[in-house]
Amino acid sequence: MTLNTIKIEEGIKIHKINTNKFKTNLLAIYLTTQLSRENITENALILSILKRGTENLKTQEDINIKLEELYGAEFNCGIDKLGNDSVFKFYIESLNDKFIYKKENVLEESINTLFDIVFNPLKENNGFKEEYFKSEKENLKQIIKSRKDNKGTYAYTRCIEEMYKNEPYGLYMYGYEEDLDEITNDALYKEYLNVIKNCKIDIFISGNFSEDSNVESLISNNIKEKNLKPRDVQNLYLTNQIKKPVKEKIVKENMDVSQGKLVIGLDVTNTNQEEKNIAAVYNTILGGGVNSKLFQNVREKASLAYSAGSLYIKNKNSIIIKSGIEALNYDKALDIIKQQLEDMRNGKFSQKDIDNAKQLMKASLKSIQDEQDSAISYYFGKEMEQEKIDIPAYIEQIEHVTKEQIIEIANKISINTIYFLSK
Amino acid sequence: MERIENSNVKEECYLERLNNGLQVIIIPKKDIQKKYIIWATKFGSIDNTFIDSVTGEKNEIPDGVAHFLEHKMFEQKDGTDSLYTLMALGIDANAYTTNDHTAYLFECTEHFYEGLDELMNYVQNPYFTDENVEKEKGIIGQEIGMYDDDPGWQLYVNAMDCLYENNPIKIDIAGTVKSISKITPEILYKCYNTFYHPSNMVFVAVGDFEPEKLLKEIKVRIKDNKSKNQIKRIYPEEKQEINKKYVEKQMEVSLPLFMIGFKDQLKGRYHEVVKRHIAIEIILNMLVGKSSNLYSNLYKEGSVLGGLDMEYEFGHEYAHVLIAGQSKTPKIVYEKILQKLEEMRKNDINKEDFERIKKKIYGDYTVEYNNVADIGRMFASDYVKGINSFEYMNKFEEIDTNYLKEILNQLFVEDNMVMSVIKGK
Repeated sequence: MTLNTIKIEEGIKIHKINTNKFKTNLLAIYLTTQLSRENITENALILSILKRGTENLKTQEDINIKLEELYGAEFNCGIDKLGNDSVFKFYIESLNDKFIYKKENVLEESINTLFDIVFNPLKENNGFKEEYFKSEKENLKQIIKSRKDNKGTYAYTRCIEEMYKNEPYGLYMYGYEEDLDEITNDALYKEYLNVIKNCKIDIFISGNFSEDSNVESLISNNIKEKNLKPRDVQNLYLTNQIKKPVKEKIVKENMDVSQGKLVIGLDVTNTNQEEKNIAAVYNTILGGGVNSKLFQNVREKASLAYSAGSLYIKNKNSIIIKSGIEALNYDKALDIIKQQLEDMRNGKFSQKDIDNAKQLMKASLKSIQDEQDSAISYYFGKEMEQEKIDIPAYIEQIEHVTKEQIIEIANKISINTIYFLSK
Repeated sequence: MERIENSNVKEECYLERLNNGLQVIIIPKKDIQKKYIIWATKFGSIDNTFIDSVTGEKNEIPDGVAHFLEHKMFEQKDGTDSLYTLMALGIDANAYTTNDHTAYLFECTEHFYEGLDELMNYVQNPYFTDENVEKEKGIIGQEIGMYDDDPGWQLYVNAMDCLYENNPIKIDIAGTVKSISKITPEILYKCYNTFYHPSNMVFVAVGDFEPEKLLKEIKVRIKDNKSKNQIKRIYPEEKQEINKKYVEKQMEVSLPLFMIGFKDQLKGRYHEVVKRHIAIEIILNMLVGKSSNLYSNLYKEGSVLGGLDMEYEFGHEYAHVLIAGQSKTPKIVYEKILQKLEEMRKNDINKEDFERIKKKIYGDYTVEYNNVADIGRMFASDYVKGINSFEYMNKFEEIDTNYLKEILNQLFVEDNMVMSVIKGK
């Protein structure tokens, strides 16, 4: 697997990943912009309208017929938070020419189709096609309302919201119903043009390309044709805020659930970029997988939960603990979890715990290249961090983390928010 | 070993049945870092009545035993837990239980033979005590609680209740808190001894392997080399007709969920199930797939939110089609599907649509070969159903529009059709 990055214009890059492991080519277009309460609902709405139709493929039916003709090419899109930014992600996955039964330009057509969907939406007067605007507004309202349907996800997003009350990262990804009502079609289209004009554009193409493949020019031609100009992207991915410990906050909410959802947000305070690898190892010991302290102590020893684990949000330097428990076991579970944090601070974990954690991290890093989408996510993360580090070198860094360093980090970790959802 | 090649996906598989009856399937993947092993037994949640192989007695076991057994297999006599032993090596290990099989699996990039040792050791050495069985009841009770809160799962269970009167597929895979309370070490041992014999199992390996060499390594790790008589399973008689037309439940959802089912009958047709499966997928795509005008209209008028999930689920004892989604007005969706089916039956099938959908499904099948875990899981679960996964690539050309018509008339009729709905409170 090799990565080759070309800068087309200021703020616009093509990243080509050459690999012979897959039956498919995967093209991804990532658009990164700053996140705010003002634009989050608009962004979610733009995303759903873009799926509806383009100047060439006017309806969803047309788009899907096109995709089916391309041997069931898979189109996908979504929007993610990354630190204080939001990233629009568009994908098209289609069969590599070697696996199709007729001679057809599946790759070229796939590239054109994805560019068409992202940069050439169907217009009407000064806005998007009115019908699509209206119906997607209704759909989005429904999606925002359905936030409570999945209790686990709801509890998680609520904890994040409480932790980051006054920051973009605390915003709910699909936006807010009251903001949605205010949006007009014309204003939304202006915002779309604004995003396209100013966002950072990263285009990834992963697949098996021969020496004489013209895949880069197929993409750069599309960039030219869509008239994408240089842009200043210096204001994105600001990671240098250092966190200070805050007073622990407890939030409890009631809903008709048979299993309580406990989510605890931790801050990793006073750390710099280099220490993030240590925090990642710390997190794996604490709550990554079945050998972790949380899983072993909350689920196995105390039989309190079916699930117990944690994840590390690198760009926000936060660790989130998640567990599903019986409501009446709340105090017991919380005590055990707090004890684990204390044990980490006091160095009460073994060399074996550290080795297990490193093995687990190593295995998942090594398998990145066996998954087309994981490789793209990995390289996008590195692109945003402006860190030029390949997977073997990253594994090397993880290997070097010591117990002393982990204890030092453990003493900089404190609870920010305890969130509990129960009957 | 027998070698089968598929020129469409450019893959090959190696097959061997050992003397004790174990089926081994190896799919070599050059230059892939990951290795994937899955060892499955044909023992699932529907296998709850069987004849004891030693005493000849009929056994009825509590609901949820196959899943319970899966949980308990990891625990070792020396106090270790094989799942943790594997994970400590950086090996991603897991297990799952379905209607018709239980599978133990791992995926790794390093320490392969240590992983193989551990897997083959724990699957062949059960250790159940009163104490460890009691403790597991608490953990599985929590897992059942999680399913009880899951509207999607409740929707499915109710759809099964609509389709079947007696078939054990309608039982929750994990059982209920009450049914698992009756589980004892004796019951677990009896099921283990019946269903975990190599002759009832399949072993699938996918990765950068030398097949003959790996086969040797598997053979030396097998404990029981004697062959065994076939297991007699008993299933209740199931009528052809559906059980209930409609079931509705209230839960905390903002928009109703619906699942429409069609009960299929495979008796006497099982030999052509692959062809039938592909044909049903083509019909489903034409009926409510993303390029269908029915789907566009439903979406445009706001009757459905997002795409619809479509699936043909089948085994030796059951078969049904499921269409699921979210809608403000599930009954309208039901009516429109019925109307569209009527139209499809009356008119000729559009050749262009037919060829295009075939291309799409061909692509979907090919993409399955991107990932070692997907390949392994597919070969194991297809094997349990009596299928070699490559058959899906081969049977493609046999399907014509007449065959689609036949299925439209047999299966996709209102008498076979049910609906389960989860409504908001």
